[in-house]
Parts: sequence; C-alpha cells; structure tokens
Amino acid sequence: MLSIIIFTPIVAAAFLIFTRDSEGVSSGNVALAGSALPLALAVGLATSFDSGSGEMQFVETYSWVSALNINFQVGVDGVSLWMLVLTAFLSFIAIIVSLDMKDRRSDFLALMLLLEAGTLGVFLALDTILFYVFWELMLVPTYFLIGLWGEGRRVYATIKFVLYTLVGSLLMLVAIISLTAIHFKATHELSFDIRTLTHTHIPTDAQGWMFMFFFLAFAIKIPIFPFHSWLPHAYMASPIPVLILLTGAMSKTGAYGLIRFCLPLFPEAFSDMALIFGGLAALGIVYGAWIAIAQKDLKALVAWSSVSHLGFIALGIFAMNGEGIDGSVLQMVNHGIIASALFIIVGILEKKTGTRNLAQLRGLKGSMPVLYGVFMLIALAALGLPGLNGFVGEFLILMGVWTSSSLVELSAAYVLMGGLAIVFAAIYMLYMFQGAMQEKPDKLSDNVADIGAKDFGVLLPACILVVFIGLFPKIFVDRVAPTVDRLLSIEKTVNLPTHQDSGRH
Amino acid sequence: MFLYAWAILFLPLLGFIGLSWFGDRLPGAKSGYAASAVVGAAFLVSFFAFGHLLSLEPEQRINNVAVLYPWIQAGSFHLDLAILVDPLSVFMLLIITGVGFLIHVYSIGYMDGDPEYTRFFSYMNLFIFSMALLVLAADFFFLIVGWALVGLASYLLIGFWTEKTSAVLAARKAFVMNVIGDVGMVIAAFVAFDAFGTLNFVEIFTEAPKLFGENDETVLLITLFLLVGAFAKSAQLPLHTWLPDAMEGPTPVSALIHAATMVTAGVYLVARCNVLYDLAPYAMYFIATVGATTAIFAGTIALVQNDIKRVIAYSTMSQLGYMFLAAGVGAYSLAMFHLMTHAFFKALLFLSAGSVIHGLHGEQDIRNMGGLKTAMPITCGVFLIGTLTLAGFPLTSGFFSKEAIIMSAYHAPMGNFLFWSLAVLTAGLTAFYSFRIFFYAFLGNSRNPQVKAHESPPIMLAPLAVLAFFSLVMGLAGPAVMHFLAPVFGGQIPVHYEDGLLESIALLAGLAGFVAVLGLYLTDEERLEMIKEALLPFHEILYKKYYVDELYDLLIVIPTKATGKFMDQLTEKKGIDFSVDKVGAVVKQISEEISAWQNGRVRTYALNMLAGVAIILLFVVFK
Repeated sequence: MLSIIIFTPIVAAAFLIFTRDSEGVSSGNVALAGSALPLALAVGLATSFDSGSGEMQFVETYSWVSALNINFQVGVDGVSLWMLVLTAFLSFIAIIVSLDMKDRRSDFLALMLLLEAGTLGVFLALDTILFYVFWELMLVPTYFLIGLWGEGRRVYATIKFVLYTLVGSLLMLVAIISLTAIHFKATHELSFDIRTLTHTHIPTDAQGWMFMFFFLAFAIKIPIFPFHSWLPHAYMASPIPVLILLTGAMSKTGAYGLIRFCLPLFPEAFSDMALIFGGLAALGIVYGAWIAIAQKDLKALVAWSSVSHLGFIALGIFAMNGEGIDGSVLQMVNHGIIASALFIIVGILEKKTGTRNLAQLRGLKGSMPVLYGVFMLIALAALGLPGLNGFVGEFLILMGVWTSSSLVELSAAYVLMGGLAIVFAAIYMLYMFQGAMQEKPDKLSDNVADIGAKDFGVLLPACILVVFIGLFPKIFVDRVAPTVDRLLSIEKTVNLPTHQDSGRH
Repeated sequence: MFLYAWAILFLPLLGFIGLSWFGDRLPGAKSGYAASAVVGAAFLVSFFAFGHLLSLEPEQRINNVAVLYPWIQAGSFHLDLAILVDPLSVFMLLIITGVGFLIHVYSIGYMDGDPEYTRFFSYMNLFIFSMALLVLAADFFFLIVGWALVGLASYLLIGFWTEKTSAVLAARKAFVMNVIGDVGMVIAAFVAFDAFGTLNFVEIFTEAPKLFGENDETVLLITLFLLVGAFAKSAQLPLHTWLPDAMEGPTPVSALIHAATMVTAGVYLVARCNVLYDLAPYAMYFIATVGATTAIFAGTIALVQNDIKRVIAYSTMSQLGYMFLAAGVGAYSLAMFHLMTHAFFKALLFLSAGSVIHGLHGEQDIRNMGGLKTAMPITCGVFLIGTLTLAGFPLTSGFFSKEAIIMSAYHAPMGNFLFWSLAVLTAGLTAFYSFRIFFYAFLGNSRNPQVKAHESPPIMLAPLAVLAFFSLVMGLAGPAVMHFLAPVFGGQIPVHYEDGLLESIALLAGLAGFVAVLGLYLTDEERLEMIKEALLPFHEILYKKYYVDELYDLLIVIPTKATGKFMDQLTEKKGIDFSVDKVGAVVKQISEEISAWQNGRVRTYALNMLAGVAIILLFVVFK
C-alpha cells in the first residue's frame, strides 16, 4: 500500500506531462485524483495503524540493486505516520489551491505531484540510499516550481535554495555510505537498511563527524539558525501552493531526519552536541520572532514566524526525552496545518485586494466576515493560544526542555527564550490579524467580496483540526510515543572488532 | 459524583458556539435572552452543586474530581480532562454565573441597537465558559487554558468595537500583557511537574508539605512564577497598565470581566494554591507588599481622573490590592470574602455608570455631567449605594470585608504597621474619589444643558436593584462564607481581631476622605482654582498615572521594535545572508579559475561529482 501511495502521484504527474489539457482530459481532475488517492490511503493506514507498537509497520521490500543489497524498502512507524498523513493532506490542499493557476497549469500540477511523491518517499524510505534518492528528488520540482512560477527574484532564490540544500545533502551522502562501510567492517554484510544500521555501534570519533554531516543536511532543510538565510528568499519567491508544501511538508523532512537518523544512529554525539545545537534552535526561535515583528509584508511575516516555530520543533528534539520529541512531532503536524493555512489566507488577501502590505490593508472585517473568523482562529492557533493545537505542542516541547538531561545546563534559559518568542508571537500575530482586518475600513477594503465556498472549503479542514487536536491530542500523541520511546533506547548490539581483538588473531 | 458539574461548562460553551454560528438567524433581541438563559441555567447548576457540597461532611467537600476523558500521555506526562469541585470553585462559580447572569440581562438593554448585538453575547458566553473552566480546572494545565481563554474573551470584548482604533490597540495591549502572565504560569507548571511529576492539584497539594520545607527553592520558584500570571491578570504592579485602557470596551464588559470576575482570578489562584503559599512565606510577604503598594498607587491615581470608567477601573486595581494584601498575610478567606462583596458593589458601580453613559448618549467625562439625580433618580440611588459600599460605610458589605482586611494587615502573624497604614490611607483615598464622582455626576446642576439625560429601561434597572440589595446585605454573610471555605484552607477560619483603636482610625480615615471631598465640592470656583494651581505638579504626576506607560514605551516597546528592524536590516541582510552569498561567490570564483574542467558535458560533471564524493569517502573510511 505504501508504494501505491508514493507512485500514484508519480503516475499522475507522468500522465499530465504527456497528455496536457488539450487531449480532452482536465489536468485539474487528474491532479486531484492523483493527490486524493494517497490521502485516502494514508488516512486508512492511520486508522489501521497499531498504536501500541513502536516498530515499523506495513513494511514492503522490493529488490533494487541486489549486488549492493540496496532495496526499495518502505514502512511507517509512529513518527512517519503523521508525516505521511500531513504530506498527503497538504498536497491535496495545495493541488486545490493551484487549480486557479492560468499559466501552464498542467506542468505546474505535474511538478507539484512529483514534489509530493519525493516528500512522501523521504518519510517512508527505510533504505538509506532510497532515502537519499527521494531527498534529492524533492529538489528538482522545487527548483522549477520556484524558478518558473515564482515572483520577485525567483531565479536567485531558487538557485540559492537548491545549492544550499545540495551542499548539505552531498555531505549526508558521504555519511550514508560510511555508515554502511562501518557496518560492513563489523559484520562483513552490506546493508543499507536503517533498522539494521541503528544497532551498529559507531566508534565515538566517527560518530562526531558523521553526526555533523547528517545534521548539516537536516539543519539546512528545517532550517535551524544560522542556516536559514535561504528561507526568506525562497518563501518570498514561491507561489502559494508551492509554499504550502515547502513550509508544511518539506521543512518537516529535516526534523524527521534528525529523529530518524541522527538520534538513533549517533546517540552519544547527539547528546554531546544537544546543548549547542539546542542553543542554535533557541536562538532561531527568538531571532525569527523578533524579525517577524518588524515585517510589513504579510508573506515575509509568516515566513519569519515559521523560522521561529520550526526552531521550537528542533529544540524539542534536542531535549532527547519523550515529552520533548512527542511535542516536536505533534508540533510538526501543527505547524504544517497552521503555517499553510496562514499562507493560503495571505494568498487570498493578495488576490482580493492586490496587496499584502500591512500599511495598505485595513478594516477588512466588514466586507469579509467569514474570512475574519477563519483568520482569527488560525492566528490564535499560531500564537499558541492554550486550548488550541499549537499550545499543546509548545507546552510539551518546553516541558521536555525544562526536564531534559541533555540540555540541563541551559534548559531554563532555553525555556525563557521560548517564552519570549511566545510573547512576540502574540504581538506579531495580532499585529497581522488586527492590522489587516480591524479598524475603520477604507475604499480598498469596501470593494472586496468575502471568500467563496472553495476558499472556505480549503481553509475549513485547518480550522477543524486546530480545535480537534487541541481537544484530543491523545489520539495523535499515542501513536507517536511508543516509537519515540524505542528510538530513545535503541540497543547497540553490533560492535566493531577492536584493534586489540584483531591483534590477538 | 460531581459529573453533572460539567454542565456549568457546557451550557455557556453551547451558547457561544450556537450564537456564533446560528445567532444571526435569531430575530431581534432573542440572542441576548438565549445567552442570559444559558448563564442562568449554569447558575442553577452551580447552586445545586453548592447545596450538594453543604449536604456532605466538611472533610468530604474537598478533592472531588470529575474526570471526562484521558487527555494526553507523552513521555512521563499524563493528564486527564478533569474538574475539581470543592467549596472554593463553587464559591467562585456562584459569583461568576450569578453576577454574570445579572450583567447579561443588563446588557440586553445596554447593547440594544448595536449592529453586532449577537456577536457581543456570543463573546460574553465564551467568557463565562472560560472563567468557569479556570476555576473548575483540576490541574495547572487546564487552569492555564482557562486563564488564557478568559484573556481571549477579554481581548475580544475590549476590542469589540473593532472600528475604533483606540479599542483595537487597548485590546492588543491587554492580550500581550496577559500572554506575559501566561508564560510565567507555564514556567511555574514546568517547575511543578519537575518537582512532583504531575500537574494535578490534589496530588501536588498532598505531596508538597511532605516533600518541601519552608521557603524551599522549588516552592518559591513555583509560587513566584505563578504570581507573574496572577499580577498580570489582576492588574497589580508592574503589570497593571492594560486595565485602565481596557475601559475602551462596552461598559457591561468592564463590569463583568474587568471588575467582578476575571481580574480577581489572580486572587483565586493564590487561594487555590494556598498549600504552596503557606510553604513560601517569602512569596507571601511579596504578595502583601505588592498588594498594599498597588492599593495606594491606584487609589492616588483615581483621585484626579475625569473619565468615570477610569476612576472605577483604578478603584478596582486598588481593591484588588486589598485582596492580595489579605491573601499575602495568610487570610485567604478574607480575600475571598472581599472578592465577593467587591464583585457586587463594583459590578453595581460599573453598571450604574453604564446607565449614566447610556442616559447621556455616550458621555464619560464627569466634568460634563451634573445634576443627574433628578433625571435619573433610580440610577442615582443605586450609585449612592455602590459608593457607600465602596467607601466602606458602616454596615454595608464593603465595610465588613474591608475592615477585616485592614485589621489583619496589622494583627495577622505576617501583618505589620506599614501594611496597615497603607491600607488605612487607601481607605481614605477610596472615600474621596468615590464621592467625588458621585458629587460631580449626580448633584448640582447639569454642566452640559444640551444633552437631555433619560432614565434607563427596566431591564437595566432590575439587575442594578438586585446588585444594590446584595451590596448592602451580603456583609452579614461573612462568617458563613468563612465556614464554607474553611475546608479548602486547611480548616482555618480567620480570627476576628478586636481592636477598637485601629478600627476607629480606619473609620476616621474614610470619614476624612469624605469630608475632604465634600469640602472641595462646597468650595467656590475661585478658591478651587487657587488650590488647583498650588497642587498642579502633584496633579500632573497623578493625572499622567506616574508616567508608567511612557516609561514602558521608552524602555521596552521602542527598543524591541528597533531591535527587530535592526536584526532584519543588518544582522540578517548584511550579516548572515550576505556571508552565505559571499561563500557562494568565492566558490564561483575558484571554479571559474579551474573551469578547464568545465566542458559543458553533463557526463563529465557527474563524473567529477562522483569522484569528489569518492575521494572524501576514501579519506574518511580508510584514514
């Protein structure tokens, strides 16, 4: 079933590239079907997922390069489950949003579907080489989507984004191959299976740099401060549908990588570096929030708030305990829902009024009462209002940080930094919401029509989810927790032969 | 056993959801009646729970938890969605839903004709739900949820008239100030979780005395961080600046949220955590100090303000100071008693001020009022009752509750002369400013003859009459309240200190305030100008509220904004982003120099890349 989920969008994309609209087939319907099926399957999978187990489920293995024992191997556990559902959900939404596209629509949709497939593959791959292939596959459609359909300095932005991430991922490839080499030394068996490799004990000095290579790739992708500078450019240049996948799903691949690879493979290096990298994450939380306060462009404001919120996710992972990582996974889902909804709202405002500058927008409440309510709810979720979903994630993360043993020297400082960012979030979110929607309407805002059924339909699932997750977080966290507990306590059973051993022979 | 108490939460929640989704389909003033009905029903349930508690033995009245469902399980943290029904929460509920109901009914008249009448009532229901959640929460987490949701309701209602810029800004200020408080409480919850492994009140309060001694660092941390939230919500120094601005909201909102219920949440929090505070005498001393200071601070500002609602707002701050003073010296049930009487007489004052504003078509400046006793006799009467109670006139409810606090400020084990003298001085100020507005608004001749004042409709006057009645007589309920609450406070009933001398001084202080303002009122214009001129510098400081707002702007708001701009323009664009591009440029330059390898064939590039990776690999694996 998992391979069907990955290949459906690819097939749909191929179909779109070869047929286009002219053949009497609506590219929109093909794309909708190509993204609706994975969503339906993903939701079905989530309901039949065994929440008591922390192991990989629904595993499928097909031989790929048998000489090197590289397999097309996919599976889900508690962490990837929600990433799968989130990606399928956001892709479906993004496809709906991009239906309005006039310019070369079928190509755009095909690339969107490819991006979905790449992202899904990253979350589902159990083979390190397969993971790497999907990781790079995400870049290709992104490059063209921003470069061809973007706005502003789109080519500069897209080249910067691709080169930056490429630097990280090539280093990761080195680490991936070295990982198998070390395993080979110990067992004389080639394996790229992440489940096998996590049981290999990696010598401490090798752990250091291999961790760094993986970390760099993931840190750039999330991004963690100070590797974030591609983000404002890429976000500002992206069309809204691309942005939904970029911020909602793709940014999560970095955080996912930290949990899937760095944490179980290099636990010692991870806990040695947690204090420093957790510090970077905490700095990013405050830095992003602080810059967001100074923004007048709604898109830039949401982009910078994302830097802040993604920092929370990274920080929770470095807490290295159940509360922190459970919170991070939940927050990945939350941020995916909230940030994409905010970007959709920004897109709607820009389309209706022709501007997204807070200096020009005001008083839209009167003419857009429905959007007013939706915007308020999403903004409240984004600023972490207790009772809604964002707060549950932030609370768990900061609680994890407070009780963390890997961050213990500075945990209070990191929590205070998180607290400062929450106060800032209240300031910039209300500034954004009130600035656009309240006060006396002027000419611009009087002649605007409220959102129609389609826009409302796109935003409604997000509205329901922010309330639902806030009321019933247990449904989500219960499926994550066993996996996180397992990843935190993996036993290293495969040891390298030491030099003394070989000397005796 | 107390599962039915969930109805107290669900009724107003239902009202909120129903009115915000379907309210527009209700014709005319129906939404106001629907909203009032759900709050009235919630009051009846609360009253039933009150009777239920009374029917139990005193030791069975506490620690009754009603679990709805398990809410989360992450790592070692687990939590149920549960409520705690005990004398303290039921006592608060009776005030919230009781006074809340009266204010809902009043609002039917007051908000009549407002284009967003329905939205107003849905927010009011949201507030009642949130406040009920706050007092019913059985753990720190849902306390914080309720805490933040009342902040949200307050934000929505302060900024209810969204086209008014001043209201929008005031709402944002209140929200941000309260988020600061929320963060403090969240941190307190973390410390508590770290120390106790749970956020559950019952477990924490049972464990705390066993685990920690007096003034243990952990307990001090918890109690002090909780105070950040308490002071922000209850507008105590230095987190008070949002409350006067909150008067931008409709007057019933000021009465319900910014006088009778929400702002007292801080006092409730201290009372709820009395077990922890008893273990932290340093924190208690801090509470009493802040309370006494705020009482006199706000009392002095109230002397000179001209906006009728702002005077009452500062008076609220001042009275909240009394409550914190009482809690700080360990007299929790006196604090709760004053909370109750204050809820009645302050709601009464606000609502009758609202009646005045309503009758004068929006006029709020007392300098433009005068002579209203003929045009609005009933409002005048109830306002006088409110004023007398606020000033602590003997035998009114305010007299009993305030006297008891003033006495324990000196005689309680934690009390001292300084607390007592501040409290007495504040009593004098209270009499002064409360009669000042009464004289200005109701006596003499009208200062603005163009405006024809009219008495408010019966639906507004009826709640006023009920509140006036309770303001007068509820002082007699004091001993009963103390007995009812005693199980929550470890069975303690505060001693009633008999001290004729101190009592007389306190009474004289009130009398002095009254005589002073009466004297000023009777003084002729010419002399008044003279006095004004002589006192101008003091007047200016008080009128500008000790320049606290300006100070915060200068020290916090402006630097924060400037730093954000600075980081955006310099750190980011000229720093991080620039250096990343620089790295790219250098790499490009180098590659141009070795561009001999660049023959344009993709195959060669791929080969180069592979070779590069292979070299690194070889180095890494076989080093």
